[in-house]
Amino acid sequence: MEEPIIEIRDLSKTYRGSDEPAVKSISLDINRNEIFGLLGPNGAGKTTTISILCGLFPATSGNVKIDGMDTQSEMSNIKHVIGVVPQDLALYPTLTAMENLTFFGNMFGLRGSVLRDRIFDCLTVFGMEKVANKRISSYSGGMKRRVNLIAGLLHHPKIIFLDEPTVGIDVQSRIVILDYLKKLNGEGTTIIYTSHYMEEAEHLCHRVAIIDRGRIISIGDPKDLLAQHPEFKNLENIFIHLTGKELRD
Amino acid sequence: MFKFFAAFRKEWLILIRDLAGLIVLFIMPMIMVIILSLVQEFGWNAISKEPKIDVVFVDQDHDSLSFMIRSGLIKTNTFQLITSEKNNNINSDMARELVRQGKYQIGLVVPKGATSAIQRKVQLMVNRVVSGIMMPVHNPFLDIVDKDSVNVVVFFDPAIKGTFKNTFMSSMKEFSLKIESSMIFSSFNKELHRMFPQFNTKDQDYKETVFFTEVYPSGKSQEIFPTPTQHNVPSWAIFAMFFIVIPLTSSIIKEREEGSMIRLHTIPVNYVTIFMSKVGVYLVVCFIQFLLMILSGIFILPLFGLPALDISTNFIPLILMAIATSLAALGYGIMVGTIARTHQQAAAFGSVSIVILAAVGGLWVPIYMMPGFMKTVAGFSPLNWAWAGFIDIFLRGGHFREILPEILKLLLFFITTMSIAGIYRKFKPITGA
Repeated sequence: MEEPIIEIRDLSKTYRGSDEPAVKSISLDINRNEIFGLLGPNGAGKTTTISILCGLFPATSGNVKIDGMDTQSEMSNIKHVIGVVPQDLALYPTLTAMENLTFFGNMFGLRGSVLRDRIFDCLTVFGMEKVANKRISSYSGGMKRRVNLIAGLLHHPKIIFLDEPTVGIDVQSRIVILDYLKKLNGEGTTIIYTSHYMEEAEHLCHRVAIIDRGRIISIGDPKDLLAQHPEFKNLENIFIHLTGKELRD
Repeated sequence: MFKFFAAFRKEWLILIRDLAGLIVLFIMPMIMVIILSLVQEFGWNAISKEPKIDVVFVDQDHDSLSFMIRSGLIKTNTFQLITSEKNNNINSDMARELVRQGKYQIGLVVPKGATSAIQRKVQLMVNRVVSGIMMPVHNPFLDIVDKDSVNVVVFFDPAIKGTFKNTFMSSMKEFSLKIESSMIFSSFNKELHRMFPQFNTKDQDYKETVFFTEVYPSGKSQEIFPTPTQHNVPSWAIFAMFFIVIPLTSSIIKEREEGSMIRLHTIPVNYVTIFMSKVGVYLVVCFIQFLLMILSGIFILPLFGLPALDISTNFIPLILMAIATSLAALGYGIMVGTIARTHQQAAAFGSVSIVILAAVGGLWVPIYMMPGFMKTVAGFSPLNWAWAGFIDIFLRGGHFREILPEILKLLLFFITTMSIAGIYRKFKPITGA
């Protein structure tokens, strides 16, 4: 039996000033060493769910356990085992990639040659070792995304949360990022990932949950989902079938 | 501690990368101290020598009174008398019009026969006294009606400050009293000489007998002379130091807007470390600002004719006071930056609140001149605590013991504002939740 590393029970979130919950009674388990995709249209509740799991804000109700620890009482310990790659760039534009990564590494308690080697290895993998000492503000969008990703991985977390990590970047950068995520997963890292790119999720994820209007409307292995809906030839068609063609805010 | 130093380094790098911002941070407070000290010295206090204030002077008297007023005003070295306009002598109506137009701030008309009127009035008074002694039963001078009076007209520009007007009027009253005293003495002299020609009283002149010695008691063996520089530099330095709130709040909000704060919230590092790293870096900035402003007082203000700032004072209290003031300003900045949602909110609230705290704190108008209610309010302004501490050091030669209450208040303010910021950040999510 597969062991869950994240257990979500009846998770709900209603933002202040809003009548409609952004997340409604979500319950699911994410297994250790799994690549799990949270898919959904804009405003479906993906980012809200991930933000609660990362401790950015509390849930209105429900429980979440990460690696056996409760998010309400043990968030400071949970922060040691998770890595977060936010949807928006979370870097200091006037610092270089090396300075940014050194700072975030230091904040995880990494220092000296250990940190330097990890930064260098990551930059090399992402083809950025030659521009390591250039300021982030001078980078292209794809380069910024790559550094943004590295900053969340330096401390070798057990679980990585990625909120649309490949949005707005070129194909080459996307391939490098996805390959690296597969490599990390191969080394035992659990990856929770949100995306709008169905094809990307179909190929990368072991399981996906399609979420809409704060509820999970379908969950499973992409192959199983396709088997359940033989009338559709890919995940995107199933997604459209389940969430509709209506434009979202 | 390791995380603090890492965050300090990051903060420092961000600061020094913005070279233009850094120059502004250091140069603007210096310019502010210099300009405001000069404005306050020359413009408001008007106690200096240059530039002189023009007074339209219309002399219709051409006698002792107008001579004494003329020489008295010139002697103050503050006023320059204007008697003609475009090569035409100024008369009373022209003086009024020139002041009304705002071309000159003061107009003075000494009427024709003013001195004679005073002389007649004085002579009558002396005659009454002398006759009272010589002819106690029937004094004929008591029957004479005293009709003489002198009306010196002073025109004031409506825009002139009340304190300045009062100072001018005091000077004018002093001149008239002097001339009256002098005339009374001279008339008595003449009468006595007439009555007792054997005594030589003619050469006696009236001389002032009361003199004033200004003493400024200080805690130092050598008296500290309270020059305007000693007052102005600390006041404006405190004001400028509190304006560190603006770049500090900007740094906090920028970090939030750029998303880095979101990442920091997912990292095992507490808010105190992040806040304290900012305090550390900006404390260095504040201290350099303070040093530059003090150096401006010593070396730059004298170039404009102002006395140099005297810092032959107790250095340790001065440094402690500068640190305590900086910390209070930084705590306030961290609190405003944490609570404000946008740059606009932070900049508007930060700057306006500092101006208010400075105003009620006695930086512009001395507290002893404020009404009772405002004096109570002033006691709650951190800028007032800082001002009181610096004044103790700069003007009273205060030692550590004297400024300790102010230092403690400022440190308590720092701890309170930092705690508010910490609690707010702990319970208030960064995102829109």
